[in-house]
Amino acid sequence: MSAWFDFAIEHLPYVLLGVPTTLGLWVSAMTIGAMLGLVLAWARIYGNRPIYVIATIYVEIFRGTPMLVQMFFIYLGLPEIGIVFDPLTAAVIAIGLNTAAYQAEYLRGAVRSVPMGQMTAARALGMGKFQGFVNIILPQALRRVIPQWSNEAILELKYTSIAYAIGVTEITARAEKIGYETFQFFEVFLLIAAIYVVMTSIVAQLLLLLEKKVSVPGL
Amino acid sequence: MIFETLLSQMPYLVHGLTVAIGLLVCLLSLGLALGLVLAILEVYGHWTLRLVCVLFERVFRGIPAIVLLLLFYYGVTDYIEMGSFTAAVLALGLRSAAYQSQIFRGAFLSVPNGQMMAARAMGMNKLQAIRDIIIPQALRMSIGPWTNEFSSELKATSLAYVIGVVELTRQAKYIISNTQGNILVVFGVVALMYFVVNRAGNWALYRLENRLSLPGFEHRGDA
Amino acid sequence: MLLRVENIHKSYGAAEILKGVSFDMAPGQSKVIMGPSGTGKSTLLRCINHLTPPDKGRIFVDGEELTAKNLNTMRQKVAFVFQDFNLFTHLRTVENVAIGPRKLRGFGKKAALDLAYKELERVGLSDRADAYPAELSGGQQQRASIARALAMEPKLILFDEPTSALDPELTGEVVSVMNKLASEGMTMLVVSHEIGFARKAADEIIFMEGGKIIEQGPPSQIFNAPQQDRTRAFLNVIEHGDDA
Repeated sequence: MSAWFDFAIEHLPYVLLGVPTTLGLWVSAMTIGAMLGLVLAWARIYGNRPIYVIATIYVEIFRGTPMLVQMFFIYLGLPEIGIVFDPLTAAVIAIGLNTAAYQAEYLRGAVRSVPMGQMTAARALGMGKFQGFVNIILPQALRRVIPQWSNEAILELKYTSIAYAIGVTEITARAEKIGYETFQFFEVFLLIAAIYVVMTSIVAQLLLLLEKKVSVPGL
Repeated sequence: MIFETLLSQMPYLVHGLTVAIGLLVCLLSLGLALGLVLAILEVYGHWTLRLVCVLFERVFRGIPAIVLLLLFYYGVTDYIEMGSFTAAVLALGLRSAAYQSQIFRGAFLSVPNGQMMAARAMGMNKLQAIRDIIIPQALRMSIGPWTNEFSSELKATSLAYVIGVVELTRQAKYIISNTQGNILVVFGVVALMYFVVNRAGNWALYRLENRLSLPGFEHRGDA
Repeated sequence: MLLRVENIHKSYGAAEILKGVSFDMAPGQSKVIMGPSGTGKSTLLRCINHLTPPDKGRIFVDGEELTAKNLNTMRQKVAFVFQDFNLFTHLRTVENVAIGPRKLRGFGKKAALDLAYKELERVGLSDRADAYPAELSGGQQQRASIARALAMEPKLILFDEPTSALDPELTGEVVSVMNKLASEGMTMLVVSHEIGFARKAADEIIFMEGGKIIEQGPPSQIFNAPQQDRTRAFLNVIEHGDDA
């Protein structure tokens, strides 16, 4: 055990240099996912037939296939038709497009759980459909979606490790490099396992704080 | 041209798919058995056991699937000899147990207290009551949430690629390097295969849920 | 004596719910426990089969003391009917009745079902044998749960407010089943404010208040000439329909 600690302390700085990459990847992907997810949710609830169908197909495809395959498709496949990304950008896009589909579904569920009377009351005040959505429905739905959104955010934080498969030098890739240099694979993967547990725990606590902060009686 | 390549490579893809499904069945079975035990201990066990179970869950849900795969494949094999398939079953199966135990725990807790009380009042011991009264009800309520776990583990089998399990995704990579190209088409076909298996599995589980549904248990995913 | 309750005490935290309750029951007797709510009647009933273990005091059934060791075998002799039925949701009515004989009394499948049908007939539910609990009315659920108790062929049945979760128009069918059982010689201990059953079928009324028995005697005495002011005041309230 103490041998492991010595090992861990020696290699911790190198691994920790991957943390900004991991977190940057995560924040960018979650942001893309939130924005695109909102659009998709809107399209699935209020869109006309063709828009609804397109959004639904998008959600089904991205939820129905593995993220790794999506990432390979974007990083290895798209260059065939002249679209080339560096590994980090490809990873951000792949994770972002993937989480958008999940976020859209959570948001859609939350919007539908807001009682009908809320929209009726907004319309009765003279708001348009879009105004009613933005001012009345969305603020309620966003509060309701926080617990699921938090789960999704934590899942995605762990999924950033998949970017290692296309050569992004985030935490996992750095750990593997140390593994090959020292042949102490078990020790180094144990080290990053601990780092992920710490990171996800901190994020979970922060998200809980957020949830408390924006909570409103009755929601 | 592309279709000929695809047709000639199809047997490899199909083989990869069977490996993926085999991995899925093994890891879900391990996760089901262990997840059920964890849930029972967490709901009905002594507090020390409960603590151990919660710790297990936290750890296995906190570590990314890829890191678990690498940990078991590169790490544990330093001490215990095992192939990449076995390592993948263990890594993903133990992780699935952590997720499944949450599903089952929720279902156990949603069985009304009176059911256990009536069973005990009749003279059943705790184990009999759990086996004959609580589990048949809880499992029915678990099928809905369990469907999500099925989907998510099917997709997770692709991650076994990183430790060299020759499943569907790795077959795709082999084909791409052997045929020098066709990347979009090959990954498109692979994606379609995952999609179809996922849909078929969901459909079958939905059918199962309906077949087992009883008056008083109609609500999908209530747990 | 079939049942001997000896000096039962039970507290929840600082609140002492039962302050030393003792009484006996002979085979074939029916007793009704009455009293204001919060007075420990249901707790007493639960203490008798250790659903709530008493802090102090002893329970004897057929001369044998109920302990943590023989709990499950003793409970098979002392059936319990709940206020909110607690039928097993995933089992058909007849399976609810058969599960006790099948799993606890060593009956084969066929024999357990035969017995279950017989007990359902006794409570007038033969035609609903294949229904699930969610498909039964409250009165039917309670009759099914009485059949489930009967299928254990118990020495004694404890009834915990068996009609109080029912709509008024449904209490009659349950009370008439209970009357019938009493007349057939079943030993029954009933917590209830159901005057009809108490007057017609009970051999004795036990009146409790504040965790103690303050008066007991045959219904004619308790209803027509209560000795205690508090008994009289309570009976006044419930006989005028204003349930306490």
